[in-house]
Amino acid sequence: MEEKEFAKLQEGDRESVEKLFASTWKDIYRFIYYKVQNREEAEDITQETYVRALDHIRRSDKKIEKHVDFLKTVSLNILRDRWRKRSRRGTMVGIESIDPTETAVEDSSDIVSQRELIRNALDRLSEEQRKVIELRIIKGYSTAETAKIMNKKEGTIRVLQYRGLKALAELLKNSV
Amino acid sequence: MRKKEKILSEYIDSLNAEIKPARHGKPAESAELEELMDTVRKVRSLREPAMPGDGFESRVISGLSKTGPIHKKGASSKSSAKYARNRVWQKSLAAVATIALIAVLAYFILPFGNSNIVHAMERSFDAVKAYHGILEIATIDGQGQETIQMVLDVWADKEGRYHVAHIEGTYDGLITANNGRTKWQKRAEEKSLNVFPAFPDPYRFAFELGKEIELAANAIEIREVGEDTIAGRQTTVLEVTPQGGLSYRIWVDKETKLPLRKQSGMFNAIQYRMTYKDVEFADAIPDELMSLSVPDGFTVVDENPMQLVSSIEEAGAIAGFLPAISLEAPEGFEIERIAVETETKTIKMYFISSSDGYEKAVLSLRRTNSGFEPDAMAVLGKIGDVDTEIILNVQDDLGTIPGGGVYGGSNDICSVRWQHDAYEYKLVANISPEGLTVFIKDLFGKELTIPAAYEEPQEGPMIKVPYDIEVEKNTQKSVDSGSSPWRLDPVYVAQVFVSLEMSPGGIEGDYPIDYDDLSILSNDGVNAIIEVNDPESPISRVYLERLVRQDDTGIWTVVGYDPAP
Repeated sequence: MEEKEFAKLQEGDRESVEKLFASTWKDIYRFIYYKVQNREEAEDITQETYVRALDHIRRSDKKIEKHVDFLKTVSLNILRDRWRKRSRRGTMVGIESIDPTETAVEDSSDIVSQRELIRNALDRLSEEQRKVIELRIIKGYSTAETAKIMNKKEGTIRVLQYRGLKALAELLKNSV
Repeated sequence: MRKKEKILSEYIDSLNAEIKPARHGKPAESAELEELMDTVRKVRSLREPAMPGDGFESRVISGLSKTGPIHKKGASSKSSAKYARNRVWQKSLAAVATIALIAVLAYFILPFGNSNIVHAMERSFDAVKAYHGILEIATIDGQGQETIQMVLDVWADKEGRYHVAHIEGTYDGLITANNGRTKWQKRAEEKSLNVFPAFPDPYRFAFELGKEIELAANAIEIREVGEDTIAGRQTTVLEVTPQGGLSYRIWVDKETKLPLRKQSGMFNAIQYRMTYKDVEFADAIPDELMSLSVPDGFTVVDENPMQLVSSIEEAGAIAGFLPAISLEAPEGFEIERIAVETETKTIKMYFISSSDGYEKAVLSLRRTNSGFEPDAMAVLGKIGDVDTEIILNVQDDLGTIPGGGVYGGSNDICSVRWQHDAYEYKLVANISPEGLTVFIKDLFGKELTIPAAYEEPQEGPMIKVPYDIEVEKNTQKSVDSGSSPWRLDPVYVAQVFVSLEMSPGGIEGDYPIDYDDLSILSNDGVNAIIEVNDPESPISRVYLERLVRQDDTGIWTVVGYDPAP
C-alpha cells in the first residue's frame, strides 16, 4: 500500500476504510468462521476486528504492509481474549500484548493439512460412528433426521455421536 | 454421561443453526467437554463457511462510523458496494425499467384474477427470450430465523441454455453453464473445468421461471392469500397445492406477472425460500457467458471424451462393430451428429426434432458380455419381447449443480435401456413416453410396452403386511424434504424389510441379506415384486406398493411377502 493511501486510512478516510473492508472482509470472515464455526459469532468478531484494527492503525506509527495478515492477527487476539475471559483461571490479555504487526498468523496450508488429519481420523472410526458424525456435523442433520436415516433411536444417535467424538479427539491428539 | 451427550448434541445443534452456542460465553463444565466441543468445531471445518447475509458490509461500515474509526471527510461518501464483487446487485434501476417496459408491452391489459393467474404468467413468460437474476436461497427455522444458504447469479433462456454462478455460500465460485452444444462446470477453488455433453442434462436449477409456471399450471389448486413487497416490487402471494408434496407459496410480480419468490411449507421445522432479488430481461444470454474458455492454470477434465464422425460406417470402424439399425431418422426427427466414445467404444447417435430442435434423443450402442440388470428405480417394460428398463425422470449426479436441494426440480428426460444379441442399447430423450414409443417403433420396428400403472398385480402375496397410511404419508413428506432417500428404491426397502425379519432386534453392522441377492421380478411403477435369492432368508418374495404417490418421487411400502419354501 502506498504511503498516501495508508495515511488516508490512518486519518479514518471513509472511502479508504470501505476499500480496505471490501477487499479483505471475506478472507477475514472465513478465517474467523473456521475458528468459531457459526455465522452469528463470526459476523460479530469480524466487525470487532475492523474496529480494533482501525483504532490500532490510527494510533500506531508502523505502516502495515500485509493487511489480511494483520487483520487475521487482530481477530486471533479477539478470539483469545474471549476464550480467556470464559476460562476459570484465565487472565485478560489486551490487544497490545500480542503485537499484530509482528505475530505470524497460521498459514492456509496449515488449515489444509489439519483438514487432511481430520479426514484421516474420521476414516479410522467405526462405520456407524463416522456416519453419525458426518450426518450430524458435516451435513448438519438434526438428531431426529439422523435417527431416521440410520433407522435408530435418537438416544442411540447421541451415544454414537459422543463416543465417536471421544474416539476422534484421541486420534487427533495422537496424530499431532 | 447422559448429560454430556445432551450438552454435546445441543452444542452441535446450535452450530448447525449458525447461532453462537451458549457454551462459547461461559466456562465448559469439564476439560473433556471442552475438548469434545473443540473436536466438533474441527470436524465442522470440513464444511464451507456460512457467509453473512445481504447487508453485512453496509452494517459493518455503518457500525464503524458510529464507533469512531471512520471520519466523514470531503467527498468520501461512495458506497462500499462499489468494491463488491458482484456489480449485478446495482442493476436494479435498469432492471426495474426493463420490467416496466415488458409489463407495458405485454400484459398491461390483462386482468389479474385468480381464475386466469396461471394464464397471465404463461402469457408473460411467452414474451421473455432470456432473463438474468440474482437468486437468493435461504432456510427459515422454526423460530423464524432466516439463514441465507447461497446466492446464485442466474442467466437462462427459453432454449434451455443457462449460466449459473454461485456468488455466495457453500459452492462459492462454482459456475455451471450449458450453451446447447457443451455443458461445463468451473470450480474456482480446485482450478478445474469439467466438460460434459450438452444433452442429456438432467439438471434444472432451482426456481427456473418457466418450470415454476409449468408447476403452477399443473397444480391441483391455486389461491390468492395476500400481497407483499419484494425488493421494492409489489407482489401477489399465491398458495399452490401441487399434484404431490406440500403446498407452497409463490410471490408474483403485479406488473410483470412473473414469480419473484417461492417458499416451501414448513417441514421438520425448516422452510426453504428462494427469491429473485433482481431480475432483468434480455434478448439473449451474453456471448461471453455462453462461450467455453479455459482460464489460465485450470485443468480441463472431459467427462466423455468423444470423437465426431461423419457416417455410421466410420463410427463402426472406431468402435469395432457396425450397428444393425435403420439409418433413417424417425419421423419428425433428423440425425444431428454421430460420435464415438473412444474409451468405452460406444457409438452415439444424436437426433433432434426437425421442427423446432427442442426435442432431442441420444441413442448409445455398445457391445456387452454382462447380463442385463435393470436399475432398481426403473419400471420394467418390453421392446418386442425383450426386457427393457424404463426410467421416466433421469437423475444423474454427473455434472448436476449442487444447491437445488428439494427445489432442484424434476426434468422431462426419460431413458430406455435393453440388450439384444450381445449389444446394449440406451436411448435418452426429452420426449414424452408416448412419443418415445413411436420413436422406437420407427427406429427398430418394434413396440415399446410400458406397463400400465394402477393395474392390480397379477400375483398377490401369501402373507399381507399391515401398514398405517398416515405414517406412510408422513414418511413421504420426510422423503420429499430430503430424508431417507432409500425409501424410493424398492430393492433397498425390501432389503431392510427382510433384514429386520431376520434380525428383529435391529441390524448391527452389515445387513444380513445382501442388496445384490435381491432381484426385481416386476415393477410397473406402482407395484413391484422383489425376489430374494439367499438360502438363509425366511422370505422368498417381497411385494411393494407406492401407496402415497404413484410417480418416481413416491415412496415404496412393503404390503406383503411369500415365506421361503
